[in-house]
Amino acid sequence: MSRPAQIDPRGARFTAAITALLLLLDVALGLVGGVAPTLAERAVQPAFLLLVVLAAIFVWSATAGVARNPWSIVFRSLIRPRLQPPTELEDAAPPTFAQGVGAFVTLIGVVLHLAGVPYALVIAASAAFIAAFLNAAFGYCLGCQIYLLLVRAGLIRRTAAA
Amino acid sequence: MAPLVALGIVAALVAGATVLGLVWRASQGRIRRVRSHAVAIEGVELGTTVTLLQFSSEYCAPCRSTARVLEEFADAPRVAHVELDVAERPELAARFGILQTPTTLVLDDTGRIRARIGGAVRRDLLSAELAKLTVAA
Repeated sequence: MSRPAQIDPRGARFTAAITALLLLLDVALGLVGGVAPTLAERAVQPAFLLLVVLAAIFVWSATAGVARNPWSIVFRSLIRPRLQPPTELEDAAPPTFAQGVGAFVTLIGVVLHLAGVPYALVIAASAAFIAAFLNAAFGYCLGCQIYLLLVRAGLIRRTAAA
Repeated sequence: MAPLVALGIVAALVAGATVLGLVWRASQGRIRRVRSHAVAIEGVELGTTVTLLQFSSEYCAPCRSTARVLEEFADAPRVAHVELDVAERPELAARFGILQTPTTLVLDDTGRIRARIGGAVRRDLLSAELAKLTVAA
């Protein structure tokens, strides 16, 4: 299979850091705002709107590649020119996979919040925050475990010829 | 919810994630000694002294760095480095209880598993472990 683009690993960490901050803000907004009584009101709650934006970014980065994530673009245009060149490049596939997991988790939060499930938004945003934070602060790699779980559950299978 | 309570929960979330991260980081690259019977793995040819059997996956950045480190130790025909993709060999991932990639199994000359390394392999730790293994052999 064709290998996707190579990226600066510091850009991926930067992207994860901004994402984690915004998810944390969303958790705070969700806790303060709670769940509004009607669907129309729930659809305009600040925590909901922010999570929709974050979910949209996750979906976009997971499909277009993490290099097209807005925070990646900020990193490349504003921050990277001020840094030393990277000592090594990384495959874009692992962080792009992580963006897909982020999309899955935040979309569940979006749907359940609209349905009026209490704390669904807070829990989904918290889960996504933990993953993004661990990635930004510790270099944790979501694709190293989640992908393997999917393989072991029999959901993914590849032949040696691929 | 009162803003102060929300702030407390948010702070607890950050603290909890930090503890989780520290625990995770401490576990990465640690060498766990294991004892096993000789294992025969189809398609894997053992080195004459040591085999470094690495389980990797596609969406795994530390798998690449680990492969580079293990390649440095590879010294045919004595020390073999074999990298397997879990998506291609899911039965092996299940058989050896692989829960993260990379996971590296260190096999001796008879094919017994002597050590298991979860996460990115650290050159210094592996070097010391291999020195012990080859002296004992």
